[in-house]
Amino acid sequence: MTKSAYPMLTRRNLMLTSAMLAGGAALGGLSKGAAAQVKDMDMWYWGEQELPGLQKYVNDSVAKYKAASVKPMLQDTAVVISQFQTAAAAGNAPDVQYLWNGIYHMESVWLDYLRGLKSLIKPDVLAASNPTMLSHFGGDIYRTGWYPLPMFWCYNKTLFEKAGLDPEAPPKTWDELLVACDKLKSSGVEPLGGGIQDGYWSEWYITHSLPQQLDSLGEAVELFIGDKDFNDPKYHEHWVKLAELKSKGFLNKDMSSLELYPGIDLVVAGKLGIGQTIGTRLPVDSKATGGKIGYMTMPVFGKGKLAAMPVVDVQGLGISTNAEDPAAAAAFLEFLQSPEQLKAFWEATNWLPSNTTFDSSVIQDASVRGLWENWGLKPNISNVTNLMPGQFYERAAIPTGQQIVAGSITGEQAGELAAKTAKEWKDFNPDMVENYRKWVKDLSSPT
Amino acid sequence: MRTPLQPSNVAKQLVLLFAAFLALVPTIYMVITALKSDEEYAIDKLGFPHSPVLENFRSVLVDSPFLYWMLNSGILVAGAVMLSTAISVLGAYAIATMQFRGRDTLLAVSTSLMAVPPVVMIVPLFVLYTRLNMVSTYSGAILIYAGLITPFSVYLLVTFFRTVPRELYEAAHIDGAGQFTILMKVVLPLSLPALVTLIVVNSLYVWNDLLIAIIFMQDDAKRTLMAGISVFSGRYNNQVPLTMAGMVIASAPMFILYVLFQKQFIRGLMSGAIK
Amino acid sequence: MTPSSRLTPYLYVLPLVALLAFVFGYPLLRIFEFSFKMVRGIDGPWIGLRNYQLVLGQSLFWESVLHNLQLLLAIPVMVAISLIVSVLLSERVAGWKLYRIIVFVPFVLAIPIVAVVMKRMFQFSGPVNELLRWMSLDFMALDWIGSSDVALWTVMILIIWRESALGIILFLARLLSLDESVIEAAKIDGANWWHRLWHIILPEMRGVIEFYMVISVITMLAAVFSYIYIMGGGRGGPGTSTEVVELYIFNALIRSSLPGIASAASVMLFLVTGVLIFLLFRVRRRAENF
Repeated sequence: MTKSAYPMLTRRNLMLTSAMLAGGAALGGLSKGAAAQVKDMDMWYWGEQELPGLQKYVNDSVAKYKAASVKPMLQDTAVVISQFQTAAAAGNAPDVQYLWNGIYHMESVWLDYLRGLKSLIKPDVLAASNPTMLSHFGGDIYRTGWYPLPMFWCYNKTLFEKAGLDPEAPPKTWDELLVACDKLKSSGVEPLGGGIQDGYWSEWYITHSLPQQLDSLGEAVELFIGDKDFNDPKYHEHWVKLAELKSKGFLNKDMSSLELYPGIDLVVAGKLGIGQTIGTRLPVDSKATGGKIGYMTMPVFGKGKLAAMPVVDVQGLGISTNAEDPAAAAAFLEFLQSPEQLKAFWEATNWLPSNTTFDSSVIQDASVRGLWENWGLKPNISNVTNLMPGQFYERAAIPTGQQIVAGSITGEQAGELAAKTAKEWKDFNPDMVENYRKWVKDLSSPT
Repeated sequence: MRTPLQPSNVAKQLVLLFAAFLALVPTIYMVITALKSDEEYAIDKLGFPHSPVLENFRSVLVDSPFLYWMLNSGILVAGAVMLSTAISVLGAYAIATMQFRGRDTLLAVSTSLMAVPPVVMIVPLFVLYTRLNMVSTYSGAILIYAGLITPFSVYLLVTFFRTVPRELYEAAHIDGAGQFTILMKVVLPLSLPALVTLIVVNSLYVWNDLLIAIIFMQDDAKRTLMAGISVFSGRYNNQVPLTMAGMVIASAPMFILYVLFQKQFIRGLMSGAIK
Repeated sequence: MTPSSRLTPYLYVLPLVALLAFVFGYPLLRIFEFSFKMVRGIDGPWIGLRNYQLVLGQSLFWESVLHNLQLLLAIPVMVAISLIVSVLLSERVAGWKLYRIIVFVPFVLAIPIVAVVMKRMFQFSGPVNELLRWMSLDFMALDWIGSSDVALWTVMILIIWRESALGIILFLARLLSLDESVIEAAKIDGANWWHRLWHIILPEMRGVIEFYMVISVITMLAAVFSYIYIMGGGRGGPGTSTEVVELYIFNALIRSSLPGIASAASVMLFLVTGVLIFLLFRVRRRAENF
């Protein structure tokens, strides 16, 4: 899983063609046989790449499903978005389409390629699948959740014990974190960090820290598009905190020259106390250490309503505007959320399906079960970095963390850079601003 | 005759030895690291492996589609080099041996295109290919590569064709041979060394390219070796010996060709050093 | 001449013209057009000079330009290395053919491969630093790829390492074509090694050195993408510390979906290289006249 989960990180590189296709895709288009016949559906999906076994699950489910004949196709990582948008523009998108969260599918919503699901799927099923706030737009919801990607801070319990810390009570507040780091350091291990050379650590840091000062995810979008100001101390506090960790010498020394996954491996190998990781790694890492990898939410410094909320990103499925019989497609999505199918999902992939009614008694590993109970079942928020325009992601989200960790800028300077980049985005993309502003309304309303 | 300032042969040897060492350092590091286990590399990053392991090579070949990537690169190299060579031979032959309007301009423009950086061309081509659904197609990428290497091919071939004695053309012409027959039967056989040079330099260029590969061959199934390497090194970035085994395998084809055909390579590089 | 034979040359060059028009002509015309448009999808409305204003007003663009200019510092080093090695090789010292095979190796290895290897070598706890510490040169054990201040210099080391091989190849080709009798004559006249190098060999090589320098300037300004992309983990960096104009264009096109912005930057890059190409032609003509 360690290796196969990596493709998820490269999604940013894949948005590629999406916006480009908006205008001209109609000229291309993929031929698609007799998809128009009733009860004969196409489903394009992705995920085998990060979740081995998913393909088998899909094939089995389709074989089992009698109400319609569903033809599944596993997509290449690079074309998940562009292939769908091209087909949709040409009027022959598949009935059911795999969708990454946030901006990765919202563009298709704005282009009117996807159907709202509120009127198609039973409300309780839709809610239980946790499509997350990032799927809300214009009062409707555009995905059902398929499988979750819990994101959290991990720590090595063995190292905690050695440092005289309670391995079952990780730090909850910022001050407790500083104390813990101090103790870890005096016990001879590097307290906190990972690898930031390829940039994803920067992204994940924002995922965990920025919401701490926010009252809603809509506030984040307002920041990214420059309607709110990163120069406001409240909004760059998280970078000041990162700089504090740096100046206190709590970050691992080779952090700047290591990449994300080798950095997490340091925690697993007992060379680093605390790091950032993702749920799909936990089964393997927990097994490798004999259950000595703990999980926690990022210790709290902020005062926003979202502080201390666990983060769960969710991959999902949607129904295209081209679907001839949307009700049939919706019935298939509901079928995938049925208790038997959730169980089959677990058995095929050894990973959790996204549904709060999933019977978690099948989970053997205590850490994985605990993670599901505390992340999947309790109130959670989704990954705020999925709301960023690509330009902000590349120019601000990644560089700020890297430069703070390298000691070359302060938290305030990171805020300045972010504010400047947000303003630049607005200058460069005047035609996109309204879509984002409309999205803010959905993201700011209570669920 | 010797003055104290004269560098001795020993000094010359030392300088060259040092240069040769520097030139080989990455290769040496790559090979010895590939033969180490993760554990040994963790302890000793510099020395030779105590008990060399081949496990890294095995897992690279089993777990990563290196051979498949190479096949993709091979298809692009073969397609682009053949297409470009055919087009350049025809064009260069006309430029070198025939009189026509615009000839000198054509040669001057073509030659100056040699120095235009590929990055300048990608935006419109990418937009066009997106519209025509040609992103991630072999033919699309082959066309771009063929275009990029053609200015050099034309330049080299024109230079070479001009060195072929005029009498040869004229004799063949008198014998009643048409232009195409002369080209095929007289000029091309004489041009074999130039063609080999072309093929060497152009194949290296296409094989080694990254920019066009990552933009125009985005599908997992169409990935070239160089684009594959960037994915591979990211995915296994925690296992340096494994990564190095991958790099050894990736560099093997060109390296073996270089050792086997060093004469052609060196001649090719020395006359085609512009690329 | 019959009409058909008058047409013959055009038939021969037709495929060539078509290919060059497609791969060079079409894009070079379109970047100018796109650079004045707000392109979404395949086209968009005219917005005059707005794209240029945006690009020139962005500090990141200037930072990128500055990085390209910094890379130019590598050129004198490359010239010096290439000169020393090629002159020694051309003297056919014992084993020169083997040396020649070896010093060309950097040019045969693909840039992405070398970049991956070098990146591991220069990791903070990698072999280069281990060696430096072993030699008690701890102060030199920098964070080669992790520090914003050092990363570009590390890339430069890689560029020098590989592009010097090109210099050696070029210079050696020129040296081996020199008229040996001149050098022999100088030897008999009692001119020492340095004297021969300075007064006889270097003047002969002026053309090829200028040629190599111009080629290298174009490389540094517009052909270092592979180095930067791989060393920086697929995006350059840390942060924007190794961002160059090529990467700026790549990011604008691929990651920000702004073909208009990418085109405006491309146009400016093309105009700069256009001037250099003109220079190159003059230099080459001189090189050929020698």
